[in-house]
Amino acid sequence: MLRSVKGVICQGPKLDSGYFLHASARAWLSAAVNQDVQIPAEKPRTVFRTSESNPANHAEQHEGQHYSIPLQEVKVVFPHGLPCRFQMQMRTFNESCLMVRKPALELLGYLKNTNFAHPAIRYVIYGEKGTGKTMTLCHAVHYCAKQDWLVLHIPDAHLWVKNCRELMQSSYNKERFDQPLEASTWLKNFKTSNDHFLKEIKTQQTYMWSKRESTEKGRPLGEVVEQGLTRVKNASDAVGVVLKELKKQCPLGSFRLLVAVDGINALWGRTTLRKKDKSAVSPEELTLVHNLRKMVVNDWNGGAIVTTLSQTGSLFKPRSAYLPHELLGKEGFDTLDPFIPIQVSNYSQREFESCYQYYLDRKWLQHERASTEEGRKELLFLSNSNPWQMERISAYL
Amino acid sequence: MTLRLIYTTTAVQKRNVAASGPEKYTEAFIKNQIEEFNLGKRHLANMMGEDPETFTQEDIDKAIAYLFPSGLFEKRARPIMKHPTEIFPKQKAIQWGEDHRPFHFLFYTGKQSFYSLMHEIYGKLLDIQKYEDHLRAQSLLAENRKLINLIGSRWLIKEELEEMLVEKLSDHDYSMCIQLLERLVTLPCCGIEEEYVLKFRRELAIQLKKMVIEPLQYDEQGVAFSTGEGKRKTSRATAVIYDNGSGKITVNGVDYLYYFPVMQDREQLMFPFQFLDRLGIHDMICTVSGGGRSSQAGAIRLASARALCSFITENEVEFMRQAGLLTADPRVRERKKPGQEGARRKFTWKKR
Repeated sequence: MLRSVKGVICQGPKLDSGYFLHASARAWLSAAVNQDVQIPAEKPRTVFRTSESNPANHAEQHEGQHYSIPLQEVKVVFPHGLPCRFQMQMRTFNESCLMVRKPALELLGYLKNTNFAHPAIRYVIYGEKGTGKTMTLCHAVHYCAKQDWLVLHIPDAHLWVKNCRELMQSSYNKERFDQPLEASTWLKNFKTSNDHFLKEIKTQQTYMWSKRESTEKGRPLGEVVEQGLTRVKNASDAVGVVLKELKKQCPLGSFRLLVAVDGINALWGRTTLRKKDKSAVSPEELTLVHNLRKMVVNDWNGGAIVTTLSQTGSLFKPRSAYLPHELLGKEGFDTLDPFIPIQVSNYSQREFESCYQYYLDRKWLQHERASTEEGRKELLFLSNSNPWQMERISAYL
Repeated sequence: MTLRLIYTTTAVQKRNVAASGPEKYTEAFIKNQIEEFNLGKRHLANMMGEDPETFTQEDIDKAIAYLFPSGLFEKRARPIMKHPTEIFPKQKAIQWGEDHRPFHFLFYTGKQSFYSLMHEIYGKLLDIQKYEDHLRAQSLLAENRKLINLIGSRWLIKEELEEMLVEKLSDHDYSMCIQLLERLVTLPCCGIEEEYVLKFRRELAIQLKKMVIEPLQYDEQGVAFSTGEGKRKTSRATAVIYDNGSGKITVNGVDYLYYFPVMQDREQLMFPFQFLDRLGIHDMICTVSGGGRSSQAGAIRLASARALCSFITENEVEFMRQAGLLTADPRVRERKKPGQEGARRKFTWKKR
């Protein structure tokens, strides 16, 4: 990419044949100087890293710095939450480092000051594509997990409204459709992250799964989850049961509940699924979506609902749409209203510098020009301080 | 008994057109044409309502373009009205007289004007040498050196010399002529024959049409800005570059990261700034229309390079020009020809 700058020069019309083209005017002027300019003294390591790994203690002085999460914790807290590119990066660097950014700090501040007697407040994280909404959500999830909340993390709601292989008619309600595969994957991950809670919370009602199987009242919720995992046909209903129970029991105060949904605009959009007779399925007709919608309504207290809008996985939405009004549609907006919007934007100067230093430190930017000032300016321009772009570009170097 | 010719084929009777050479115009014919042209010029002037006396060739061209509008792309195929000497090629008058004896003494060399020219130049050379000896005898040589100024001009090219002599030359002849002239010019007193030698020199065209560099303009807040236009294929772009910026670029109201999701286009945008090492200094607002993504990127690149010329020194403008940043890419889509599948691709050739 940086090397292809010369290729870009050669594309210009070759009117002056025989002139050897240098990459910059300065090189032209000082053609006699053969050595590169010395790299300025390296910044100390602590500028882009912080040793504070508990999100509860993150404050403004940590802004722009990376904090690392021990890999064991990652496996427990984020079985399915992190974006896949970040997971690849984690595997490469053998550590997972999140950047502390202003929107996340704002959100954490609100979460710290939640009044659990009031109905759950909804936070909608929105922003242009690739600015870090999912990562902000993950930061909040990590904080809540550390604070020992029950985290209900749906990694990407879009996965439930598209590309479903098996769509079964729900046994509970003839109108709706079940998605056993998605439900069972989600239940498995939910179990990994909230194992200890599932033992403590008891069901408040009996549930009949079929003629022979049922869960009695007072059994731990873990059994419902097991039922969903073993009997895949009932997985979606199991999910519905879990959600209902949690919603009912949270106001009682024994635990805090965080509902973290990524890509919430999927719940009110369109789906690409079709019924047997080729007519489109609307989101309400899916059990999972129906139950999740009930969860996101703020008629319960004792926790918080943090959601992100996502255009990337969304269906039938133009690429330039990023505002809540555009992505949620009228119905979704009315349901979620009132909410607290949190906007995430591109990196600031400091954050970009920090990200750049981090990649340099991990020796991710291998190109020799990448560590120079010119290379840094080039990266800044090409990515326009957009985190997603920056990550993709650095992957080439 | 005489044989009477009854029937012959037309092939025998036909005149061999190719063998007779190019059409010869007689002097009377040319004179006729010139009179007709002048008359026609006066008529045209009357038609257009202009004064016949001061009707120039430019006015004639405009009038013809107005009266006979043509949609043809080839300019030379359109109707023209020019002086007959420009239209009919120069031809040599008949070079022998009534008794079939040639006028010129070098006629039988085949290239009479060329050899006569060579003789003339050599004669001048000898004259100069004689003058030199004369001065040397009087020992006034040192003060009277007269040299011809040859800077900014060039010798005639072969085509121009052929045109001047109305004769075909070979490369060898041409090189001989130029060598002789060079030899003449090296003599210290060649200034005597300066005007003769200058007949064989042409002014060199100015190196490039000097690019007009717009001065910087200042808007309300006092921020300096400049505009530039660029085009590529069918895209047209205008760019306005502001000083005191932070490297933000807006294209048609959208951030350049979203307008050009492909990295290649963003590299094209980056090129002028990176070349001048001014990446984070300027802000740019541009509008672009037409073409595809790549040609739009190229058009904006040209526009921004032209706009940047106002901010930088002359030397840097020259560097940019040599890097090819200031030249519009002349490549456009080639037309599809009939009988071929595309512009170049022919239909599949079938042997039978």
